[in-house]
Amino acid sequence: MPAVQVENLVKTYGDGTQAVKGISFKVDEGEFFGFLGPNGAGKSTTIKILTTLLRKTSGLANVAGHDIEHDPQKVRKLIGVQMQDTVIDEDLTGRENLILQGHLHQMHGQELKERVNTLLKIVDLEDASDKRSAYYSGGMKKRLDLASTLVHRPKILFLDEPTTGLDPQSRATVWSYLKELNQEGITIFITTQYLEEVDRLCRRLAILDHGEIVAQGSPSEMKSEIGADRITLGFENGNPEAGALKDKAKQVLGNLGGITEVVDSDEGIVIYAKNGGFLVPDIVRAFDGAGIKLASIGVSSPTLDDVFLKHTGRRIRPEEIDKSRASGMFGRRRR
Amino acid sequence: MFLRWMKKLVRNPILLFFSLFQPIIFLLLFTQLFSSFGVLLGVNYTLFATAGIVLQNAFSSAFQSGTAIVDDIKSGFLAKILATPASRASILLGRLLSDAFRVFAQSLIILVLAYGLGVFPATGILGYILILVTVAFFGLAWSGISLALGLRTKSAETVFGIAGTLTFPLLFMSTALMKPELMPTWMQNVSAYNPISFAVNAIRDLIMTGYVWNSFSQAYGVISLIAVLTLGATLYEFRKVVS
Repeated sequence: MPAVQVENLVKTYGDGTQAVKGISFKVDEGEFFGFLGPNGAGKSTTIKILTTLLRKTSGLANVAGHDIEHDPQKVRKLIGVQMQDTVIDEDLTGRENLILQGHLHQMHGQELKERVNTLLKIVDLEDASDKRSAYYSGGMKKRLDLASTLVHRPKILFLDEPTTGLDPQSRATVWSYLKELNQEGITIFITTQYLEEVDRLCRRLAILDHGEIVAQGSPSEMKSEIGADRITLGFENGNPEAGALKDKAKQVLGNLGGITEVVDSDEGIVIYAKNGGFLVPDIVRAFDGAGIKLASIGVSSPTLDDVFLKHTGRRIRPEEIDKSRASGMFGRRRR
Repeated sequence: MFLRWMKKLVRNPILLFFSLFQPIIFLLLFTQLFSSFGVLLGVNYTLFATAGIVLQNAFSSAFQSGTAIVDDIKSGFLAKILATPASRASILLGRLLSDAFRVFAQSLIILVLAYGLGVFPATGILGYILILVTVAFFGLAWSGISLALGLRTKSAETVFGIAGTLTFPLLFMSTALMKPELMPTWMQNVSAYNPISFAVNAIRDLIMTGYVWNSFSQAYGVISLIAVLTLGATLYEFRKVVS
């Protein structure tokens, strides 16, 4: 029995916006499933529907074997939900937050007490457990939030960007908890902007764009689908003629064979090509002949970042999108 | 849920203090300032005004309920609770009961202070209990309005704004601080239908006269009606937020 099964799920909001346009996917029990997409793609809407917080417009959705519309109570008992923002009651201590969550799940007495103690130990908050959570650091709050979704031993965990805004160390900690939880058999359904972690941990993923699933499969399947290596060319920093140089470089590259695609990037130019390694000498020779100086050249196999870029035309991190937009504006003004 | 709100309240003593500050100022200053009204009305004004002040406190206190639920919506806490199997009714009930309890406790403090000023109900200890229960019920009914507003507008400022706009006109156009005989005719008419007047009259009778079945039953009738309306509205808005 799949943990999550979605068929032709549609959500149209009251103002007519179609946030989710008939998506279908399946998450198997015990899977670590990545649900990716640019901002506004419909990820949060989908999570809200699957966690019974939002009513679907049409389609079918089963979570933990129960229909979300007919049996929402049964679904709620079996899922844990972590929202995008850290949601804890800062007036309460860490322990009280967990106990409250337990009460909401109809847990009481010794059983709850022991469960809370175990969780506090797992997320490393034992020492701070009786301090008001308002005084916790961002990482501690996030860990408490995660623990509060686990009090009732859910079968499926829905996580909406659980590590956004955390420093790298706290992020790594959260991911390692998630890995352990998954190994204990909990199905994990996660949205995130951190593709390296997705690549490492997710068995399968789906990419959502404009309310539709544009790709799904395992990370390695998706990467090999790109079918090309990535060659990054960097030019000298601070060269006043960088723009002209790039154009010239592109012209030269246009005369070379075996290139799938040439894309501008912040550092210089990115080339996608089959067997990229073999192409490097050709590029260097051609640039040498044209008098173009290169600061760096690198070859890498495709990453999920490339997969994401290919399917959505965007990079996943909002700050990266902002950066490229800013430099684009600057370039235009100079011309 | 009830426990959560109670703990939050105790952990925020400043909020508790300031929400009590206003009625206490009213109690100490108004009654002194307007003590000559007493001569005019032919009563001890401190005795007369205590009922009004207790209710004013219940009224403004109840309006904080709406701002609290707005906080919970904004922070996502409500969503987190809604994703658990906790019954939807208990989520609202916990909030409402804690409001009623808070009004109960605040009123008790005001009555103790009033006792220091020589206010002791004609109906004795049982009167105290009846007053507190009535006020708490009144607070519960009004916190329904504020909850419904909070759920509908999702803006704490709006709830505050509406509360601020409503409180004083409703209070002054009631029998809370003045006898109807001394009001202009139009205001007498407003006051006669003002729900605050009904509650004030009942409590005032308990303090000054004794058990007056008529005012008491009227007050409970009116408060019950308000409670049904506001809780109905709250439930309706809550359903909308939930879906």
